[in-house]
Amino acid sequence: MAIPRPQSSQSPSSRLEGILADTDRIEELSDSDGDYEDMGTATEEEQANIAYLESVRIPIQDQLQTDSSKVQNETLQAVLPFLEGNPNDFPLNIFGIPQLQRMKHIAFLKQTLGDYPSAFAMMDASRPWLVYWSLQGMSVLGHDISEYRERVAHTFSLAQHPTGGHGGGYGQLPHLAATYAAVLSIVMVGGAEAYESINRKTMWHYLGQMKQADGGFTMADGGEEDIRGAFCALVIMSLLHIPLELPPDAPARKSGLTSFTDGLGEWISKCQSFDGGMSAAPGNEAHGAYAFCGLGCLSIIGPPKETLNKYLDMMTLIHWLSARQCSPEGGYNGRTNKLVDGCYSHWVGGCWSILEAAIDGQDIWNRSALSRYILSAAQAKKGGLIDKPGKRADAYHTCYNLAGLSAAQHKYVYEADVQTELGGGELDAPYYWKAEGLFEDERVWGSDDVVGEVHPIFVVPFKAVHECRSYFDSKEGF
Amino acid sequence: MSHEPHHPSRLRRAALPVPLSPCASRQAPASRKVKAKMPKFYNDDPAWEDIEPLPQDDGGLHPLAAIAYTDEYSEAMGYLRAVMAKNEFSERVLGLTEHIISMNPAHYTVWLYRAKTLSELHASLEDEITWLNRTALKHLKNYQIWHHRQTVIDALGSPKGEPDFIATMLEQDSKNYHVWSYRQWLVKRFGLFGDDEELQWTEEMICADVRNNSAWNHRWFLVVGGKDGQSVGEHMVKREIDYAKHAIRRAPQNQSPWNYLKGIVRQAKLPLSTLKDFALEFADIRRPDDIYSSHALDLLADIFGEEEDSKEEAKKALDLLATRFDPIRAHYWRYRKGLLEQTGSAGVVA
Repeated sequence: MAIPRPQSSQSPSSRLEGILADTDRIEELSDSDGDYEDMGTATEEEQANIAYLESVRIPIQDQLQTDSSKVQNETLQAVLPFLEGNPNDFPLNIFGIPQLQRMKHIAFLKQTLGDYPSAFAMMDASRPWLVYWSLQGMSVLGHDISEYRERVAHTFSLAQHPTGGHGGGYGQLPHLAATYAAVLSIVMVGGAEAYESINRKTMWHYLGQMKQADGGFTMADGGEEDIRGAFCALVIMSLLHIPLELPPDAPARKSGLTSFTDGLGEWISKCQSFDGGMSAAPGNEAHGAYAFCGLGCLSIIGPPKETLNKYLDMMTLIHWLSARQCSPEGGYNGRTNKLVDGCYSHWVGGCWSILEAAIDGQDIWNRSALSRYILSAAQAKKGGLIDKPGKRADAYHTCYNLAGLSAAQHKYVYEADVQTELGGGELDAPYYWKAEGLFEDERVWGSDDVVGEVHPIFVVPFKAVHECRSYFDSKEGF
Repeated sequence: MSHEPHHPSRLRRAALPVPLSPCASRQAPASRKVKAKMPKFYNDDPAWEDIEPLPQDDGGLHPLAAIAYTDEYSEAMGYLRAVMAKNEFSERVLGLTEHIISMNPAHYTVWLYRAKTLSELHASLEDEITWLNRTALKHLKNYQIWHHRQTVIDALGSPKGEPDFIATMLEQDSKNYHVWSYRQWLVKRFGLFGDDEELQWTEEMICADVRNNSAWNHRWFLVVGGKDGQSVGEHMVKREIDYAKHAIRRAPQNQSPWNYLKGIVRQAKLPLSTLKDFALEFADIRRPDDIYSSHALDLLADIFGEEEDSKEEAKKALDLLATRFDPIRAHYWRYRKGLLEQTGSAGVVA
C-alpha cells in the first residue's frame, strides 16, 4: 500500500510518530501542552487538529507486538497525516476540516454508473450494486437522478429472472443481493414505469424459495444462508408491499411455516455473538456490516423498541457497536482488532439511529469524530470516497461513507404517529421514521458540507421510500 | 424473447469506445494478473457445434454500468446461457464453467450451475476439491468459492484434509471471514466441537496473534457453541477463565480476551465480581496514573455498578474512561453513567 506522506518533511506528524515509536512499553502518553511547543511548519488548523487527536487518543499501548498491532500501527501512520493536515490541498471549512468535495464526487459517480473496461468482468454479477451505490451517492449529494429513470427501469427489466427476482444481469440466476440493489435503484428513480418493471408476483414466489425452515433466508437457490438474506428479503417485501404469507410452493411450508416472518426474529437473535455484536450466521464472528443487516431486518419486522429489545441483548450490543469506533482515527472498523474502513461509516454509523430509537437514548456515539474521518481521510483527491488513505475510490465506499456522514449530521427519529397514511399495513414499521433536523453539538462540518437525508433502514431518500410504498399500497393484488 | 442467430464474434457490444473512461482511479483491480494465455473460443470447437449461443440481451437502450466484455468472456457466457436454457448437465458444462470462473470468479450463477451439474452427473467430488484447492488461493475474498466448497464437502461427507487446507488459507489472511465461517460450518457439520486437535489449532492461532478476534470467536464456538444451549461444565469454565486471563496478561489493552472473559462468566452465570480482583490488577481507580487497560476500567464500572454501595466507584471508573482513558467514546461512557443514576444496577452490562 502506498502510504501518502504530508508534503512537508517537518510536518507535525513526524513529531507524533516519534512519540508513538517511543512507546514500546506500557505507559501513559503525556498530554501536557509542552509536547507541541515546537510546531515547525504547522498551520493553526493543523495545531488544532493535532490537539484534538491527542484529546481522543487512548493513552495506553501494549508492549507486545503481533501482526494485528503492526498493521494497526501502519494504518494509523497512513491516516494521521490526513487527520492532522491537508495533504490533498482541499479547501477547508470554518472548522479547519476539508470541505465536502461535492462536485468531484458527483462527477466520480457519473463515471461509476457509466461503461467499464473488460477487466471489470469480475463485476458482471454485481452491476446492480454499481447502479445502486452510484445513484444513492449522487442523490445524497443533492444531484437530481431523474435523468436515469428510463435506463434504470430498462437495465433491471433485463436482469429480472422469469421465475422471479433479479440477477446481476441478463441471463443470470436470481440472487437476493442483486434483487435488493435492483429494487432500491428502481425505488430511487421512482415512477410507475420503473415500479411496474418489477413482477411482484414472481418476486413473491422467488422470496418464498429463499425462506428456510429455520427462519432465515438463503441468498440464492442453493446459495448461502446468512443475515444479508434476511435483511434484503425484508427490505424488498416492505417496499413492494409483498404479502407476508408464504406462497403455496414455498419449501418452508413443509416445515410448518406459513409466514415470511415465522422464526425470523429468533434466527436473527442467534446471530448475536458472545461479545454482543452480530454475525453473518449463528456462530460466526461479529461484524459491522452484518450488524446493520440484523438491526435493519428487526426494524422492518416491527418498531425497533419492540423487536430489538425482544430479540437482542441490548447492553452488550451497544457496548460492541461503541467499541467499533477507532481511536484516534474516528472512523469505524468492522470487527474487534481490525482496521478502520470508510464503509463502516454506514454499516456501524447507520446502526445508531436504530439503537437510539430502541432505547430512547440520544447521542451515545461520536458523530464529530466520524465526520472528521470521512471529510479528512476518506475523500479521494480526484473525487469519490475511500476505505482509508492509500486506497482507490469506488462506488461502494463513496455510497457508504456518504450515508455515514448523513447519519452523523442528521437526527433520525422513530415516531409512532409520523406517517399514518402508510401505517397499518404489513411490515409498515420503517414508515414511522423522520428526519428531525441537523445535529449541532460538536459540529465539524460547514453548511456546504451537509449531505441529504437518508432513510435509516432503506438507505435511499425518504421521499422515494414513501412514494414507492404508497404506490404499491394503493394497488389491489399483484 | 427470441434471438437471431449470432456469429460469436458479433457478441461483443459494438459501440463501446476504448478507452472507456477518463477516470484515473478506475484501473483493473490490483489482484488481477494478466496471464499470457491463449483465449479459448467455442464457435470453431466441434464439441460445441450443436449449441447456438445466446448472446447478452441489453435491449435497445444503453444499460447502466455496462462492461465491455472481451470476446472470450462474451462468447463463453453466450454458451453458458444456451446450456442453462436447455438444462444441460454434462462434462463439457464443467469445462465451460471452469473457463468462465477463471475469468470471473465472483459469478455466482456459474458456481451455482456448476454445483448443480456436479450433482446431476455424480461427478468426482475429489477431483472438484483438487481443482478448488488450486483456485482458492487466488480468490480468497470470494463468497462463492467457499460456499461451493461447503456444498461439495457436504456431499462428500468427510472433512478429511480440510483443516490443513484452511490453515494454509489463513496463512495468507489470518482473519478472512469466509474462511473462518467455513471452518465453523465444518466443525458443526462433522461434530468437531470436542475435537482436541481443533482446539489446539485454535490455541496456536491465538498464540500467534493474541489480537486475532476471529480465532477467539472460533474458540468460543468450540467451547460454548457446541453445547447447544446447555451449560458449560465447571471445569471447563475455570479453564477458559484462566486461558483468557493469561492472554490478557500478555497484552492488557487487547479487547478480544476481555470480551471472551466476560462472555464466559456470563455464560456460566457467575457474578461479575468473580473478576474484580483480576480487573483491579490493571486498573485501580484510586491510582489513575497506574491504569494499564481501559477494558479493565470498563469491566470494573460494571462490577462496582452491581455492588450495593459502590455506585460512586462505578461513576469514577466511567468518568476516567470518558475523560482520560477512552475519550472517543465519552458519550457512551456518560450514557452508562446515566443508567447508573437512573436505575441503580439495572444498567449493568452483565
